[in-house]
Amino acid sequence: MIVLNLHKTLQSAQGTMSLQLEMTVQKGQFVTLFGESGAGKTSTLRMLSGLMDPDKGYITVNGTTWFDKDRKINLRPRQRHIGYVFQDYALFPNMTVRQNLEFALDKNQPRTIVDDLIGTVELRELQHRKPDTLSGGQKQRVALARALVRQPEILLLDEPLSALDSAMRQKLQQYILEVHRKYELTTILISHDVGEILKLSDRVYEIQHGRILRQGSPETLFGLGQSSAKFRFTGEVTGIRKAGVVYIVTIRIGNDLVKVIADPSEAEFLQTGDKVAVASKAFNPVIRKI
Amino acid sequence: MNSFAGHITDIRSSDGLSVITVKVNAVRFKAVVIDSPETASWLVTDNPVQVQFKETEVVLATGENPAVSLQNRVKGRISAIEKGELLSRVVMRTDIGNIVSIISTDAAEQLALQENTEVTAMIKLNEVILAP
Repeated sequence: MIVLNLHKTLQSAQGTMSLQLEMTVQKGQFVTLFGESGAGKTSTLRMLSGLMDPDKGYITVNGTTWFDKDRKINLRPRQRHIGYVFQDYALFPNMTVRQNLEFALDKNQPRTIVDDLIGTVELRELQHRKPDTLSGGQKQRVALARALVRQPEILLLDEPLSALDSAMRQKLQQYILEVHRKYELTTILISHDVGEILKLSDRVYEIQHGRILRQGSPETLFGLGQSSAKFRFTGEVTGIRKAGVVYIVTIRIGNDLVKVIADPSEAEFLQTGDKVAVASKAFNPVIRKI
Repeated sequence: MNSFAGHITDIRSSDGLSVITVKVNAVRFKAVVIDSPETASWLVTDNPVQVQFKETEVVLATGENPAVSLQNRVKGRISAIEKGELLSRVVMRTDIGNIVSIISTDAAEQLALQENTEVTAMIKLNEVILAP
């Protein structure tokens, strides 16, 4: 269990902001921090990992104090057993995939974990290649594996997928879920993608100006969760066209494009690029084996 | 989407399905849902709930008590009708508020629908969405 009580005055482009966060993350949970840029999400992860010191407050992880301003306790980043994945991959360009992972090993740590991780995120074919010969998605798989070499209990993911295209994101989301379960991690993700959040997380914290604005299950926070409409997805509007007295709205859901009829009273609030929830009663769809 | 606030007056569950009765003013709506009080904590008698249904799922009838299987019925009077080439958008004023229906223009003409026509809106119970 992670208990955070963080106070920090942050300087940003918009001026000074006072971050005051209190949250408790259960062991094994997958939690997402959601909110505008500059809200304090990355600073929260940096304080948890020891890269930034809070002005006040404490951090305890599974009963051990990592930071306590009053008791002058402040573990160094390396003592905190955290895996951290950033949006840019931060791989060593002069080392192969395998060497990048081995470099992260602790002294006296058995090398078997490297082989295990290479198997889990399917890097066997790529293990002797250098990073600059890999695609964005492949590099991010290497970064994910490297973050787990020292077998951390906590995995921090700071918008790891935002530079990737949709198909690649979906693949990486699968790998992230797989390592989260296999290595029994407590994972904290920063993401803006509602579909991604619904797919991955158990709990969401919406952060605004350094405070928790709302928290809850992703289904409750993003609207349709408690509805009796069981046939539901999230997607992105790719087109809106008037067709007589109604509108035809084209929505990309995963790799598929679907068309939905919308009344003018709804269509006028939509524009291309909007993230939307799509729902219907489960009684309409027909199923046919292909 | 047509959306009205009501409260639950009856719940009948069997094999994971439930038929929920919701009262909106004097109108009773029934909805069949793939949920039960065990799977959805908000399914409790007297709880407030939204009754929602899409405009394209609203059937319109003229005349008194047509003999059809649809039990969700709301009487009202047409306040606006916009006719397109294929489809028409009918707005009707009822005791629970405005209901919008999208039907074929052919049907609208066959029923001679115009402003002030008295109509009954009907919605199949499997098209009614409930949301707390």
